[in-house]
Amino acid sequence: MKLLIIEDELSLMASIVQYFTQEKFGCDTAVSFEEGIRKIEDYQYDCIILDINLPGGNGLQLLRYLRQNKNRDGVIILSARDSLDDRIAGLDIGADDYLTKPFHLSELSARVKALIRRKYAEGASTLEIGILKVDLPSRSVFSNGQPVPLSKIEYDLLLFLMTNRNRVVSRQAIAEHVHDGPAEQIPSTDFVYSHIKNLKRKLKEKGCHDIIQTVYGLGYKLSL
Amino acid sequence: MSKTLQQKNTRYFLIWLPVVLLAATALFYVLMSAHAHHMEKEQLELKQENIWNTLLANREALASHITGEYDLLPGTAVPAGLLRTQRDTTIYYPASKEWMAFKLLTEQRKVRGQTYQLTTYVSSKEITHLIIKVFIAEVFVFILLLAAIVIINRKSSGLLWRPFYTSMKKINDYDITQNHSLSLTEQTGIREFDQLNQVITQLIGNVSLAYGNQKQFVENAAHELQTPLAIIRSKLELLINSPQLTEETANLLADITEANDRLSQMNRNLLLLTKIDNHQFPEQSSVNLSHTLEKLVAYYKDYYDGGPLDIQSSIQPHISLRVNVSLIEILLNNLINNAFIHNIPNGYIRVSLDSHALTIENTGHPIEGGTERLFERFKKGREQSTTTGLGLSLVQRICLIYHFPLQYTYLQNIHRITISFGPA
Repeated sequence: MKLLIIEDELSLMASIVQYFTQEKFGCDTAVSFEEGIRKIEDYQYDCIILDINLPGGNGLQLLRYLRQNKNRDGVIILSARDSLDDRIAGLDIGADDYLTKPFHLSELSARVKALIRRKYAEGASTLEIGILKVDLPSRSVFSNGQPVPLSKIEYDLLLFLMTNRNRVVSRQAIAEHVHDGPAEQIPSTDFVYSHIKNLKRKLKEKGCHDIIQTVYGLGYKLSL
Repeated sequence: MSKTLQQKNTRYFLIWLPVVLLAATALFYVLMSAHAHHMEKEQLELKQENIWNTLLANREALASHITGEYDLLPGTAVPAGLLRTQRDTTIYYPASKEWMAFKLLTEQRKVRGQTYQLTTYVSSKEITHLIIKVFIAEVFVFILLLAAIVIINRKSSGLLWRPFYTSMKKINDYDITQNHSLSLTEQTGIREFDQLNQVITQLIGNVSLAYGNQKQFVENAAHELQTPLAIIRSKLELLINSPQLTEETANLLADITEANDRLSQMNRNLLLLTKIDNHQFPEQSSVNLSHTLEKLVAYYKDYYDGGPLDIQSSIQPHISLRVNVSLIEILLNNLINNAFIHNIPNGYIRVSLDSHALTIENTGHPIEGGTERLFERFKKGREQSTTTGLGLSLVQRICLIYHFPLQYTYLQNIHRITISFGPA
């Protein structure tokens, strides 16, 4: 899987590259509008992570250029401005997703993977880890073939951990991910703990033990 | 209690004008009496002169007594002390059966060796009547004058102050958060008001500019903070995934992550507040409030599952409002989240919605300090170091935009926030 990250903040760019390299993605970078255009013309990417504010031009212009040239690479926009207009404009021009800074790398990773799944692996609508299997269209979870009844929040939580498997995901990232209201109103993260507890209990009942670990006070990790 | 300028002005007039007019009346009376007195004296002296002249010319032709006119007597019957001074007397008129008042004057002269005393009479009744009549007429004139002055003054001051009241209404209606400029006319026709309007327009222009700059500054600062926050957050995520993580560093990282998350949250809310202040949510559509609220309550119920809270809701179906979807979601989210966060163990939350109002009631600790500061920015409840302190401030701003009256009450550990939708 190949990613292009167009971002002028080098420090942020380095974080993104490091995170996705660890996830076995191939990462290519561009730090300006012109460099972005050049890379887009020369190579094919599975997903492009695009910052809106770039030296030399606007990320939205770049996106427009991309779509006018019938390039169907997946695009996720990063923006420091959480304005509804930017979001609508971005999605109208043909972005696949929109994330506002400051975002969690785990969230960005989940979005990239979901996008790639939607766009390229049309047949693969299931996610499997060990004996755990998730059927995405019906939002149902099976352990060893047995259905595990989960609430909406527990399902979202499990899927988020599964897409970020072997990674520590912070409580705040989980709270923001499962919250479907405005980003400004993330509810108290204290309750993530009880959702994890319920999820672990339900998985255990169906024979799936200790798949989710608590990492000190930092967050949670799903691994085999 | 203060009175209007016009009332004050009228009151001064009503107090001082009668005093002045009364003094003027008294003076008028004194002067008129003095003049009348003088006139009587001249008449008496003229009669004296005429009769003495007649006596000198021809003694026999002259009667010695005519009632009400004169007495001409030889000898010195009238004591010398009374000579040449005006005196009062009354004479009886049998025909009309009345006593009439007269003035009299006695002079003594020697004519052809014989001493005479001549007393002349002038009726004082007519003069007295005249004085009374003039005096009454004068009182009427004065009353008329008083009324005219007061009425003209009221009318003219009403006209004079009209530009002032027009300006005042405009200033009163001016809202600095609405971004409009205020222009007061500088052609009122009255120089003082022209100057006043000019000064006020200038002042408001400056204040508005300062306010705009301040707002812009907050917005820019908040925007500029987003990228560094994103960098810190991404580095922290890489760190917590580092294989060399020890428990000690993990604890440190947990604290840093939490502080950074709170900072990010605060920054987002601050940005949102600025955007609301800048009216960046203009689009309005018909929003099904019942549906939105049901969904939210269900979500929060699910999210805070396991919390020892009892949640009850009575939501009337199909209640719609013409509002901005984002704003109303922010409003409802904040209110409900607030009710959860500031609750107590084994407490409850009651949400009710009908066509007039939305009421959210929750148990909780009493608020320290006055309740009027509840909606201020960064006003926090106790032991809530993890909140941003901006939630209720957002609620208040949104209610202000739609002119929804917002009411907060606290009674025996129960907080109640009511938002009325006004005449729907």
